[in-house]
Amino acid sequence: MSDHIDGPRQIGDPSADLTDLFAFTSPENPSRTVLAANVFPTCGVDAIFSNAINHSIVVRRAKLAGVGDATKFETADPEIRFSCRFDGLERGAADGKPVQRGTCTMPDGQTLRFLVGDEKGASTPDGNFRVYAGMRSDPFILAWINEGGVMRKFQNLLFNDNVLSIVIEFDTARVLNPDRGSLFGVVAETLPIPRPGTFVGHPPPRMDWVGRPEQTNVRLNNSGLKGVDDLRDLWNQQTPFAIDEKLRPVFLQRLKDSLANYDMRDGKQDWTPSALAANANMFVDDFLLFDVAKPITDTSHLEIEKSTLNGKAYQTGGGRTVDADVIDVLFTWIVNRDREFLEGGTTKATKPGTKNFPYFATPNMDLQTVAETVDVTATPDKVWELIGQFGAAYWHPLIAAIRVTGTGPGQLRTIETVDGKQIIERLDAVDNSGRFYRYANVAGLPVANYTGMLSVKPNGTGSSVEWRAQFLPNGPGTLITKTIVSTLFKAGLDSLKSRF
Amino acid sequence: MTEAAVLDSEWFQTTDGEIAIVNLNSARLRSWSRFYQDPQRSGVAETVLEHEQLTAQFASELSALGRLEAFGEQLGRLDASSPRTMVIKAQIASALHRFSDARRYLAQASLGGAPPADVKRILLNVDQACGSHLEEVLDERRKIVAKSGRFEDRVALGALLADVGEFNEADETYRQALREYQDVSPFPVAWVCFQLGMLWGELVPEPQLPRAEHWYRKAIAGLPCYVRARVHLAEILSATGRTSEAEATLRPALASGDPEVSWRLADVLHAEGGVAEAASHLEAARSRFEALLDKHLLAFADHGAEFYIGSGSDPLRALELAQINLGNRPTLRAFEQTYTIALEAGETDAANEISAKATKRWGNVFSFQFSPFVQGSLGTGKGAAA
Repeated sequence: MSDHIDGPRQIGDPSADLTDLFAFTSPENPSRTVLAANVFPTCGVDAIFSNAINHSIVVRRAKLAGVGDATKFETADPEIRFSCRFDGLERGAADGKPVQRGTCTMPDGQTLRFLVGDEKGASTPDGNFRVYAGMRSDPFILAWINEGGVMRKFQNLLFNDNVLSIVIEFDTARVLNPDRGSLFGVVAETLPIPRPGTFVGHPPPRMDWVGRPEQTNVRLNNSGLKGVDDLRDLWNQQTPFAIDEKLRPVFLQRLKDSLANYDMRDGKQDWTPSALAANANMFVDDFLLFDVAKPITDTSHLEIEKSTLNGKAYQTGGGRTVDADVIDVLFTWIVNRDREFLEGGTTKATKPGTKNFPYFATPNMDLQTVAETVDVTATPDKVWELIGQFGAAYWHPLIAAIRVTGTGPGQLRTIETVDGKQIIERLDAVDNSGRFYRYANVAGLPVANYTGMLSVKPNGTGSSVEWRAQFLPNGPGTLITKTIVSTLFKAGLDSLKSRF
Repeated sequence: MTEAAVLDSEWFQTTDGEIAIVNLNSARLRSWSRFYQDPQRSGVAETVLEHEQLTAQFASELSALGRLEAFGEQLGRLDASSPRTMVIKAQIASALHRFSDARRYLAQASLGGAPPADVKRILLNVDQACGSHLEEVLDERRKIVAKSGRFEDRVALGALLADVGEFNEADETYRQALREYQDVSPFPVAWVCFQLGMLWGELVPEPQLPRAEHWYRKAIAGLPCYVRARVHLAEILSATGRTSEAEATLRPALASGDPEVSWRLADVLHAEGGVAEAASHLEAARSRFEALLDKHLLAFADHGAEFYIGSGSDPLRALELAQINLGNRPTLRAFEQTYTIALEAGETDAANEISAKATKRWGNVFSFQFSPFVQGSLGTGKGAAA
């Protein structure tokens, strides 16, 4: 995943963990630019920003200093820095629910106070800057899994995840002054805040930073490279725009090894050694490039770097939009040098970005759980004999008929309920010795992302039967949906009491 | 510079404890959802384990132990024989002090091809908790710290040094961990502060209560919901006559349902003359202890023993629980606890037998010289069980 949980140190406080960085033209107003950074991967539905972290997005003017195998992007001082800090929790006036406020310091020194989660955001009096901070649906798409160095298409591993987003929109001309050059590099970083009044004597140790997607989890930490050290913590402690010259060869060699490994993932060599070295040299200077004078679109990510490495003038503004499918763009580039687009198991995030501020979709609800159990006097084997066949739910009093397609995992059962409804479910796993099966709902219930499990375990001389499901309500409210599922389960389990 | 000043000058701010707990709970619920969706995906089960362990330790949510147990069962049903399941089940068993089970799972994990480093790391924890092969464990812990320098490795070494009576080195090891800590999570900091409080308040032969109090206060300042730190601080406050402050320290922790809070609050209220309310809290403590012992006997046997030899006023039940704990983890501290309880229960023969066994097993270690077997001291003298 982009930069999600990208090093052992990040396990400390997950809210310091930067997942992604974005740079795009405002969909609401093309004269404005949006920079955004996300933290706290898989944060759930109640997460809050840490009040001990300085979250910064840092822009530097960039220039092209070489093309083809000599590709080089140089950045220059001064930096254009946006820094956000968050307060501790306050008791909300209305319902006592805690609220959080934050402060963003702009490059021109203005400070802007904002309320976390307020979708309108806050703007500076001069209108130059607008800020939002709060929980949003994670827009990242990771639809590949790595099995021993082999890439396999998969569902989006971040489906239904949320992150904490910081979105800063500003007037491009006034803040970036593109007349002096329209190409920029941007990074995001998290740093701890020294205690008030303390003198530490050195800059605070950087906790995490991110430039282009996947520098750490894909390029530096390539699981296809066996027996190599994890360099991610060392990388995270580097100063963005100024990698330690002594360590630079270490990172560069790792990038070369890693890119060579990716090049051969499809069994074909698409990169010459010199081109591969140039690609590694480009990636070691890790910042997200964007050009505010050219169009930044859902497909322009990495175009600046790729065109330059190919010896051509770039045509787009690069950057990264909310809906950019960056992992497929990256894999296509490093595996086959854009010979053939590599598309993962899906190209859709849980929710797409929006055209209105703050551009990231509302957070996902958490999965709901329904679990019912019943104890019966019969042995587990006896009970499992009755209920353990996925396609034989005739024991259930609310089921009028059942039709089965296929066998084993993947098998479908089409259920006709006594009140005439149809439910279709797919068997995902079955273990007769462990006496359980797991299944997914395909249609017929007002739910999404439904996983059910029916199991029997010993309970004294008898058995305990558990029927459990997790799902997202999809249609009627949560309570109604849970009642529907719960009624179905209870009716079935209660009927077992009279059978045994 | 004072000890506190030295440390304060080295620290970065940590995330507010209230925020950290909200975030832990949010991430914990999400990790369960991910587990139900795809239990076999790499890292998903491990994250549930980590979140529930943190919840049990720092949010003082005793129901986390029940969830851990249920989690182990579910994992066993889904992926019964895999070495990964065995490693996770070993960690759950260890957290619940079911050390024999933990060793069995680790052996199965090893046979199944689990990463040797993972197995070794958990086995070290089990050996340390049981007081087994402590010299080898100490040697290994020192090597690990020299190699990794990681925070959690330093804390584990500090705890072991304290166990073997190397108190000053333990103190230095803990404080070095704090000095080198560069993250903002309040949990590790509160943990070390609590350990330092235990070290100076309960483990050294002559407790230094002001020093212990300082560390417990630090732990609570960073993590106000840290119930164990509140209980231990309240003991010091109570022992030094500051009962109203002890009461104020304990009351916010009552909602945790931890029986030690009810017990210590009952003691404080009794000292303040609030006999009726004290009796009610004491009864709540007894009932909650028994419920916990019913579910997780080995995890709470030493705590239950402390309760029953104290205000719980049932020395024989105390001795029974202390002996269960001793059988499970024959550490020097378990011997000490059982011995003093046996004496207080009037079971002199049992006390003598325990003393003989303790001398045989622990007589050659440095920390034995501070034990009641040598000092001849009476009274449990150890305050709340850790």
